[in-house]
Amino acid sequence: MMNIVVAIKVVPDDQDIQISAAGELDMSKAHQTISAYDLNAIEAAAQLAQAVGDSKVIALAVGGSAIDESKLKKNILARGAEELVMIADDACADLDAHATATVLAAELAKIGDVDLVVCGDGSADNYAQQVDVQLACKMGVASVNGVVEMSAAGSTLTAKRKLEDVIETVEAQLPCVVAVTPDIALPRIPGMRDILAAGKKPMNVGAADAAAETCLETIEIKAPEATERKQEVSNASDDGAIDAFVAALKAAL
Amino acid sequence: MKAFVIAEHAEAASALAAGARTLADEVAVAVVGSEQVPANIADAAYHVAVPEGAAADDAAATLEALLDDVQVVIAEPVRHVKSIVGKLAAAKGASVITDCLSIEDGVATSMYFGGVGQIRRKAKSGIAFYTAGAGSFGDAQPSGSNAGAEELSWVAPAAALKLVSSEPIQKSGVDLNKSDVVVAAGRGFSEEADLDLARALCDKIGAGLGCSRPLAEGAGWMPSETYIGVSGLMLSPKVYIAAGISGQMQHMVGANRSGTVFAINKDQNAPIFKQCDYGLVGDLKDVLPKITEAL
Repeated sequence: MMNIVVAIKVVPDDQDIQISAAGELDMSKAHQTISAYDLNAIEAAAQLAQAVGDSKVIALAVGGSAIDESKLKKNILARGAEELVMIADDACADLDAHATATVLAAELAKIGDVDLVVCGDGSADNYAQQVDVQLACKMGVASVNGVVEMSAAGSTLTAKRKLEDVIETVEAQLPCVVAVTPDIALPRIPGMRDILAAGKKPMNVGAADAAAETCLETIEIKAPEATERKQEVSNASDDGAIDAFVAALKAAL
Repeated sequence: MKAFVIAEHAEAASALAAGARTLADEVAVAVVGSEQVPANIADAAYHVAVPEGAAADDAAATLEALLDDVQVVIAEPVRHVKSIVGKLAAAKGASVITDCLSIEDGVATSMYFGGVGQIRRKAKSGIAFYTAGAGSFGDAQPSGSNAGAEELSWVAPAAALKLVSSEPIQKSGVDLNKSDVVVAAGRGFSEEADLDLARALCDKIGAGLGCSRPLAEGAGWMPSETYIGVSGLMLSPKVYIAAGISGQMQHMVGANRSGTVFAINKDQNAPIFKQCDYGLVGDLKDVLPKITEAL
């Protein structure tokens, strides 16, 4: 029996981000969505809960007030979590890893008896890959990143992790924090029945107890300047098109 | 100002020590694991050997005492070191700015939403923590007088990981980060066997073969360490040849710093043709062998 919390980030959908002529990012038309790799984390948590048996998955999200959206909450709960705890508070918008971990740790203490926290590989916006390790430090427990497989027996979590040069198998004492890679589990596609059932699951939405201070200052967010390209495009079947392409390639090599 | 570099690989230690020198007048370097600190790259050098059964992530407890007089930490962007630097930042009440494209006057530029934007941030106070790739500091050269490295004795943390096994990953052999010429294969390849056409082109011009994410993670035709773009490789070769690549932003952020971009695609409306220097509209099966032969 395990209590598993999956920590998820809600972000503006990058498909809806518009770039102004001045290079500013306009998110005002973007829907709130689950950060892509956190979908794999929810699925991994749900699969582990099923493998262990008699276990529960709680989804925990921290963000600004905009994340408190009905469709989004149902989407989170339609993917294998039994319960949602959401801190939707403008004091918690755009937190850095240290501040996010502070708020998450406070909520985890309230949930109580948590055996495992599952995080995604990185968030769609900053992809810092730091909340898992910062949270583990706050909790005084171990963390494992890059996890591609995991199992739990007794008080031990065994994780296989894919690093740059090696595949490691490590053991951590529960409770602990893992960050899973997208390879660990393919997210399910919720059916109509899952979404209807999700609406009846417990949703506990509130504000943060204390504002968490970020230690990073954002100076500017801008679209990258596009590299000027020649854009000399021709049809391969045109006379001499391939020769011209090859000549340009030889010159560049 | 003192900077502290943390790396797992000797090569990264050199490159980051060079970068650290552009930010601070005093540079210390620590290498964790089996590799050693190269000579003459820093003013002080440390080595942490990871004991049998321990994980490199837990080297943070050993390194923490060395940060007392440090203002800047620059770490190699690999998973072990991201854990180490995350633990150190947590201990100092800081956050790490990861995967910096550049760092100037303490302000780090990194990607936002996978490259849709770029975000510039700095630490408000205390120690500034960054991870940065070897290419983030241009052609800065390391300097210093360190000979060997001081061997630090391992400090085990309270909640330690136990390493059960470690198996090397069989790599495809080509390090695309070091290739001057890269051919990238995309979904325009309808069959795995057709990739031989791209391999033949690579052989002819000494190029490395990479791919877009679907060919590695979806189709499984290419090793996962060869896909280019968001969460994969970020390359800047002299010549980049996109074969059957549509040119989606998620892929192009990993290639748009290339010198000259060539593209072949059968769809004349593919976005890649707006992002290339030279483009050919045509079928890969027909065009690639002709190019290879003419070279």
